[in-house]
Amino acid sequence: MRPRSPRWFLPLLAVWIAAPILMLGLRAVARGWPFPGIVPVGGVDAGAWLGFADVRLLSALVMSMGLALITGAASCGLGFGIAGAMVDTSRRSRTLAMALALFSVVAPPIALAVGLQVAMVALRLNGTVTGVWLAHLVPATGYLTLFAAGVFGAFDFSLHDEARTLGATRWQVFTRVTLPLLGPRLAEGVLLGGLVSWGQVALTALVGGGVVRTLPVELLAFVRAGDDQLGAAAALVLTLPPGLALGLLHAATRRSGAAL
Amino acid sequence: MRRALPAMLLITPVAIGAAYSAAAAVGLAGPGARGFTLRPTLAVLSAPATWRSVAWTVAVGSVATAIAVALACCAARWLLRRASWQRLAVLPMAVPHVAAALAALLLVSQSGLLSRLVYAAGLTQEPAGFPALVYDAAGVGLVFAFVWKEFPYLVLTAIAVLATGTNELEEVARTLGATPRQAFWRVTWPSLWRGMAPAVLATFAYLVGQYEMPALLAPSDPLALSLLTYERSVDPVLARRAEAHVLGLLALVLTAAVVLAHARWSYGGEEGRS
Amino acid sequence: MGRCEPARLRVPCGVHIRQPRPGVAVLVLALCGSVACGAPSDDGTPTTAAAVAAAPWADVVARARGTTVIWRMWRGDPAINRYVDGWVAPRMRSLYGVEVRAVEGQSAELVNALVTEREAGGARAGTTSLMWINGETFAQMRSERLLSGPWADRLPNAATIDRQSPIISRDFEQPTDGFESPWGMVQFALIYDPARTPAPPHSIPALAAWIRAHPGRFTHDQQFTGMTFLKTLMYGLTGGVERFQGGFTDHRYRTGREHLFAWLASVRPSFWRQGTTYPPDVAAMHRLFANREIDFTMSNNQNEVVTKVRQGILPAGSRAVLLDEGTIANAHYVGIPFNAPNPAGAMVLANFLLSPEAQVEKQRGDVWGDGTVLDPALLPAPWPARFAAAVADAAALPHDELARKARPEVHPDYHARLLDDWRHSIRQNAP
Repeated sequence: MRPRSPRWFLPLLAVWIAAPILMLGLRAVARGWPFPGIVPVGGVDAGAWLGFADVRLLSALVMSMGLALITGAASCGLGFGIAGAMVDTSRRSRTLAMALALFSVVAPPIALAVGLQVAMVALRLNGTVTGVWLAHLVPATGYLTLFAAGVFGAFDFSLHDEARTLGATRWQVFTRVTLPLLGPRLAEGVLLGGLVSWGQVALTALVGGGVVRTLPVELLAFVRAGDDQLGAAAALVLTLPPGLALGLLHAATRRSGAAL
Repeated sequence: MRRALPAMLLITPVAIGAAYSAAAAVGLAGPGARGFTLRPTLAVLSAPATWRSVAWTVAVGSVATAIAVALACCAARWLLRRASWQRLAVLPMAVPHVAAALAALLLVSQSGLLSRLVYAAGLTQEPAGFPALVYDAAGVGLVFAFVWKEFPYLVLTAIAVLATGTNELEEVARTLGATPRQAFWRVTWPSLWRGMAPAVLATFAYLVGQYEMPALLAPSDPLALSLLTYERSVDPVLARRAEAHVLGLLALVLTAAVVLAHARWSYGGEEGRS
Repeated sequence: MGRCEPARLRVPCGVHIRQPRPGVAVLVLALCGSVACGAPSDDGTPTTAAAVAAAPWADVVARARGTTVIWRMWRGDPAINRYVDGWVAPRMRSLYGVEVRAVEGQSAELVNALVTEREAGGARAGTTSLMWINGETFAQMRSERLLSGPWADRLPNAATIDRQSPIISRDFEQPTDGFESPWGMVQFALIYDPARTPAPPHSIPALAAWIRAHPGRFTHDQQFTGMTFLKTLMYGLTGGVERFQGGFTDHRYRTGREHLFAWLASVRPSFWRQGTTYPPDVAAMHRLFANREIDFTMSNNQNEVVTKVRQGILPAGSRAVLLDEGTIANAHYVGIPFNAPNPAGAMVLANFLLSPEAQVEKQRGDVWGDGTVLDPALLPAPWPARFAAAVADAAALPHDELARKARPEVHPDYHARLLDDWRHSIRQNAP
């Protein structure tokens, strides 16, 4: 049964979610748009968008996407690995592990960023893509561990027990039973981990030493400079790939019958 | 306990950061370090500005988290079986924080689109006639942006919890004669909260540490903790930059207390249940 | 020295776990593997800029060929980015075979990053070879020994620098000692829209009268530009910048602060939002100004009114105004960090930035509008005429007025103290 929602709910939700994104969309094509104009003056201006034909911005976009993909994949593997290792342990260990994961997620940025910078400099990985990737991996894995713990919490382990009594090894159970059942959730996890990497600014700037250029760092610079049109355009370029990924993933999980 | 070790790896960078921050806080590392001193620590802890900043940041973060959780819980029940609407609801996750703050500025500032509509309707004569919702001491615009950005993460979590059967339990309770209110507060809410607690805490702590959004929307007084910390970390007096590390450690202690309280509570809670 | 040994912190990369799960193994492998492949190929510490500068210039140029220079700078202005990426970089590539990569890095943050690099990695961990710095950052980097040098006076193009200008030869009253090379010069100006403000104030008393007559229409930001405005007022209200020159003294500072804070107290109730809150930065000021929330914005660069109108950020027709009491002018520079991997490339770039071609291009109103640090009189024809014609825009202020009203920066401690006192006594104490 679908719970009945009040009639106002869905339209209001649509407006609430869409208004800021539409606002950015309008601002991205308006050169100047001073108060009190309700529609942009001077018409549509593609200037800011042509800026994305620039090789440097494009390469920053490609770098962001690459980092998000490998961070998403790696953090998903690690997160599910850590949470999976916790499944049949004592409550004490589980609580401890979850507290540690939560802590890595909520640690204040300055402590985390400085710690990662010190670590990466000591490892001679500052200013390298590997260093930035490892840095992004830390908060992403924390999130994924929490996410995976939630997934396992709602997981039906009776199948495992059955497989085990039928003589399957742990590894066989993992590859033959757990993985197929987790499929859609793993895809969500990759996306979630990728999103954590996609939004990083401070870690990229500090560990990347300016050498590793990603689009969010460029976006922050535009907004700091007060160039709202370029900022809005960059914001939309940054919104599009994860937005599409969210949509595609959703469509895929829906087809496979599992709601996100 | 051995199996908890992998999770230890997660906090290694935090531990290194905390160690470095501690050394920098007492003048043993970082720019302007001139040997052991407690001055930065005492300066931070004795400054009323520190505690005003902590109180304001915690208050804004709590209000935003509470609103977002309440909205997410309501919306999750109504979105449970509407996959395409869910797809719309999670869209803000894809929008970078800086962009969400910029959108808030363009929408709700005194010269934002809302103010322009009010002006066009003849209700105000100038931008200042519209209520100040950004750079305001109440942090209304900041809360608005926080809620918008964090809502999807919380709604997804709430849907995941409800999808595990909580919703069916509520229906069972209803058929057994519980009022809708009783069914929600006695059946759905406890399990919803149990499932969502880590996500809620993560959201709260994340908002307390968020930098980009307060940088665009918050008032200059009281100063958000992240802005105060940043201001100290680039202070023209190098010796005072140690205060940024003290503030960072203070935030670390605060979040650690929240995490520990939650761990203790959920550990006890789990024991109570079994 | 009384300083502690740089802390050497290492990440444990071989955590001992029996029966490692796949996830852990991957992380451990990733950490250890990257240590191996991340090791620097060149084992020696980099040659310092001073050592490179001692060689004949032709050797420096030869040494720079085929290298890459990572140049950290403020990347917030698309016009500056276009000049650096689209004009400087291609010429460095074709003329010297040097690849220029300009990347984000604000100088106040660079101090922290460099100190961390030294503490955790010694002199070999650097990635940056050139940095855009000035004033307080230069002082901090000197006191923390983060700059390599001296090298700047060895650049061939340094011969045509305007040595007569007190604003260029001394950075916030500190001798540059060849540890930074001048790059550009700017002067503080207020920006207004003649359509809204046909008769802008030209002096500090007139400004106060204007603010009181137009409540809620004036403010300043909390950062460097706002503080430059307050310092300009402090000089003007205390009898001129001469009263503050010759190093920092507490007494002179207190006198200046008293005058400034009394002035602020008299106008603050008429500030935007009654002076209870201040815009975070100058970008927010421009936004408020363009949207008619306030009637003045300001800039540390007198030509920003030209460039920002062209970018559509400020309203068309905006103009700049200087106060008769004088406004602060300062120079900005480029420096080479102690751990620069490529000092030779950095010096070739710094020298190119001082060439008349690069300086005149930078000064053009449709490029950046950044003032030159060269003395055009020392250059052969047709350069003097080209410099004179560089900023051809109706909004540009005449050169003689700029020169007449330019006031130098004073000791950086004045800036630091004023910032601290303003934060405590004014920003935190809403009326």
